[in-house]
Amino acid sequence: MVAHQLSLLPAAGPAARTSPEYVRISMASAIALRMRSGRFSRDFELGGINLLLNYDEGCRSDCGYCGLARTRPGSFEDKSFIRVEWPLVATDDLVERMARFEPALTRICISMVTHGRAYRDTCDITRRITARVRTPISILVAPPTLRRERLENFRSIGVDMIGIGLDAVTEELFRTIRTEVPAGGLKWDRYWEVVTDAREIFGPWKLNVHTLVGLGETDQDLLSLFVALRDRQIFSYLFCFNPEPDSRMAAQPKPSLQRWRRVQLARYLIETEGYDLEQFSFDCNGGLARVQAGRSAIETVVATGSAFMTNGCPGGNGEPGCTRPYGSYRAAEPFRDYPFVPAASDLEEIRQQLSLDDVVK
Amino acid sequence: MEQAGHLVVAGFPLALDRRYHVGTHMWVLLSEPGQARIGMDPLGIETSGTLAELSFVPVGTELIAGRPFGQLEAAKFVGPLVSPVSGIVLAVNDAAAIDAALTVRDPYGAGWLIEVSLSDAAGELPALLADPDEITTWFAAKIADYRRMGVIAQ
Repeated sequence: MVAHQLSLLPAAGPAARTSPEYVRISMASAIALRMRSGRFSRDFELGGINLLLNYDEGCRSDCGYCGLARTRPGSFEDKSFIRVEWPLVATDDLVERMARFEPALTRICISMVTHGRAYRDTCDITRRITARVRTPISILVAPPTLRRERLENFRSIGVDMIGIGLDAVTEELFRTIRTEVPAGGLKWDRYWEVVTDAREIFGPWKLNVHTLVGLGETDQDLLSLFVALRDRQIFSYLFCFNPEPDSRMAAQPKPSLQRWRRVQLARYLIETEGYDLEQFSFDCNGGLARVQAGRSAIETVVATGSAFMTNGCPGGNGEPGCTRPYGSYRAAEPFRDYPFVPAASDLEEIRQQLSLDDVVK
Repeated sequence: MEQAGHLVVAGFPLALDRRYHVGTHMWVLLSEPGQARIGMDPLGIETSGTLAELSFVPVGTELIAGRPFGQLEAAKFVGPLVSPVSGIVLAVNDAAAIDAALTVRDPYGAGWLIEVSLSDAAGELPALLADPDEITTWFAAKIADYRRMGVIAQ
């Protein structure tokens, strides 16, 4: 069973398997590039390739929900990121594969981790990629490793878009989950400084802020942020909290499908349909209680399915580029975000999960 | 239950001492009279991706050929384990349910899935591939198909 698998690594010591010579790639990317065997439950094309820097010491941050957290038990080598294995591959082999499959690629994203070498190595890997393929590149940045000149340099070496993993959508949540933790120290203000710099350097709709649903925030917190980002022409990308075993938040449940679907819909209404916060009302706990809109207008949006697709950087022609299939849920679980346009049967499920009667007149 | 007559086809081990259902990649190995052990061949496992979990129906469940007797979950894929025969489930492989990688490591041996008391052996077994040459030809063709589809690592 092993002989026919591509040998992903040369016989080198573990110390040699770090970025920039090696990177991790998502399992979906490995399948798309035929570096790992496998398939997807549903039939769709995958062109979004996700890379993750790799270091022996791992990520120096310690976020309560993250599989890569510094104090999560286990070596970095054994840690999962978003619950599944990320195969380790030689960077040059990966770039060769990207060149081979370039016509099918829609977006390449390099995820930094908080590490002293992350900036330098991200530049190195970006240059290796841009020398061989023209697929647009995004970088999911680690703000503690950056300053304005470094963002400017990313742009100068061909980076198309910047992502910032804010994840926790209020300062209080950010502090309790990412700052005041055993080996934490990430700064809310620093993240927003990077947002401001990146927005200025990369321009409108070239920056995205990742928001994680289910960390303890309210719907009102989320929607307020979506509006603020939209007003600055910054994309908000939704991610669904998915408890990582052994992480400090391993026991916290995922958000319900109903809440998740309603947040997806609200985010879409805000970002794409121009809704403002006044068009939503909330209960005393900050939960979404009502959308002030006609039922038919909402039904029309739901029917396109777009609101429920993966939020990700677009491809070169504006098509969905980064779709992260099964990124925050197991293949055996219901879709959270769809890496394709939902089919009629999917929309039927989505409508049931939304229970629109409760929130739209 | 001896594993005799193994060969390797394009890197995949193939046991020729049993029958195969071509649509499901399930093998059927007759044990006691009227009883069979069922497992999945390594090509079916490999093309599903990195195996995460196997689950089975309870012992005593009545099986109908073509219907699921469990579920396979891989990193990016989930699908039914489809029975190639009809009968009653006599045993399930708890070790494989606990550690799905066992089925990857030893698909023809310790990684078996279920044991069944056959209810229509005379009617259903002839539909399975049993001739070693036919099995080998089918297996090689499927590998070529899967390579074209891009579901086998290259």
